[in-house]
Amino acid sequence: MSVSSFAHANAVHPDDVGVQVSNVVKSFGADDTRTTVLNGVSLSIKKGEFVSLIGPSGCGKSTLLKVVAGLSEADSGSVTIKGKSVREASRHKAIGLVPQSPALLPWRTILENVSLPIKINPSANAGRALRDPREILESFGLGHAINKYPAQLSGGMQQRAAIARAFVFDPEILLMDEPFSALDEMNRDQQRMGLLDFWQSNRKSVLFVTHSVPEAIMLSDRIVVMAAHPGRIAEVIDVDLPRPRSEAMYASDGFRDLETRVRASLRQVMEAARV
Amino acid sequence: MSDLSLTTKKSKKRSSITLGQILWNWGPPAVTFIIVAVLWQLVAINNPYVLPTLDAIGNSFASDPKMYWSNMLVTAQEIAIGAGAGIFFGFLLAVAMAELPIVEKAVMPLIVVVMVTPVVAIAPALVVAFGFGMLPKYIVTALVVFFPMLVNSLAGLRDVDQKALDVFKTLHASRWEIFRDLRLPGCMPFVFAGLRIAMPLAVVGAAVAEFVAAGQQAGLGSLVTIAAAQANLPVTWASIALLCLLGVILVSVLAVLRKRVLWWSDEDLIGR
Ligand SMILES: Nc1ncnc2c1ncn2[C@@H]1O[C@H](COP(=O)(O)OP(=O)(O)OP(=O)(O)O)[C@@H](O)[C@H]1O
Ligand SMILES: [Mg+2]
Repeated sequence: MSVSSFAHANAVHPDDVGVQVSNVVKSFGADDTRTTVLNGVSLSIKKGEFVSLIGPSGCGKSTLLKVVAGLSEADSGSVTIKGKSVREASRHKAIGLVPQSPALLPWRTILENVSLPIKINPSANAGRALRDPREILESFGLGHAINKYPAQLSGGMQQRAAIARAFVFDPEILLMDEPFSALDEMNRDQQRMGLLDFWQSNRKSVLFVTHSVPEAIMLSDRIVVMAAHPGRIAEVIDVDLPRPRSEAMYASDGFRDLETRVRASLRQVMEAARV
Repeated sequence: MSDLSLTTKKSKKRSSITLGQILWNWGPPAVTFIIVAVLWQLVAINNPYVLPTLDAIGNSFASDPKMYWSNMLVTAQEIAIGAGAGIFFGFLLAVAMAELPIVEKAVMPLIVVVMVTPVVAIAPALVVAFGFGMLPKYIVTALVVFFPMLVNSLAGLRDVDQKALDVFKTLHASRWEIFRDLRLPGCMPFVFAGLRIAMPLAVVGAAVAEFVAAGQQAGLGSLVTIAAAQANLPVTWASIALLCLLGVILVSVLAVLRKRVLWWSDEDLIGR
């Protein structure tokens, strides 16, 4: 099995850094009831790297994603995307967001929904490789549905459209918060492989929140295990499985070893919290 | 041959279904109306000073249709202009409040005070101020419509899909883009709920304004007061019937409009 050639994060050339999260602290609540949700989180995601966040409920995964997306301000610390501040990056439409629910506009067709990011903030369209919305819908297997409305599609198809919407405007980084959590197991597996296939031929930096260990392993280059109270990074596990990956990999020894490792790490995090 | 019999069977079945549906849709209300009409007629024949008979109302229409028509037009005009202004400004203020918190802070207390003041009590004061012309009628009708529009539109503008809003924000959408593509279309179900309340109220507002100030131009509300004062029951009830007709027309137009604008919020209308 090939060993990851970029296992040593500190040896990365600055140009290859997609996202740099440095010492982010975030707390909520009034002065006396203030609780720290993120306590000094640092993380870097390389260009074209797929990183998953996994951890117990309430450990701050969504909060971290929101800070990176610029939807929430960190109390201290910094986030840069290709060296620019999050604000600057968002002005240049460098961030693609896939929320937990598809959040498609019900009064627009699938094609119109997926075209939306191109239409919004058009001044940031210059000099980027915008995708043809039709083409991208085709490659997500939604070619037959482009003129349908979201309510006419199944939940899995809607979520695929939401992912297509995030890829269409060629962002630097994609942020996905449990995009498949509302789907049933079979559907979920299908959507996961669909995303994997698409991403493997369209490499982008991805920060992906999930509760599923197999999902994290199958998709990621690295898995970041978080601990709660306060939210922090407990361990970063390299996934040195070869790419392109496919469903057959679930049965491989390497996959099973990793699964054991990630589960052990999660168990440790949960037990530490209980003491 | 068997082919032929099959098609006739099919078409028969289909037509019987539609006939059944027609009966199901129109039958029960028709029965209710017939029962009410019969009861009405029984009461009217035995108590001529309580209710006019239905044929007396019909005769009254037939004897002077022009008079009824011109009065109905006056009331319709009050509703069109008054309610139109109330809807427009109610929505406009809702947008201003949703976009600029300072506007809500500044205006909301005043709104609450005006909202709890009975419009019926304001009407005579408006007549003193503006005379017996059309203006006080427009104002009263507009006031009645204004609040349900404001309150509902504001609720609708606030009720955005937070996840969709997050997507817009990460794209650095301008406030105008968020309004145009997200808030405005998204608030329409609430706006139509507001209109559904406002439309019948508009008829009430116009009629009340006319009760208070009959004016030179009359209108159906004035006709009711004048005829009632003369104990002319057929004219009184004929005018009431026309007010009712105005309300039914408004609500029907609204229902058609709603289907055209809000097809996406109704799963039946999208057609899976
Ligand atoms: N806006 C907020 N105001 C107050 N507290 C908040 C807010 N957002 C999150 N929190 C708190 O921060 C903590 C972390 O929340 P977060 O949603 O990031 O967790 P999570 O890891 O995504 O959990 P889950 O796996 O259940 O989605 C929780 O305890 C939550 O109650
Ligand atoms: Mg979460």
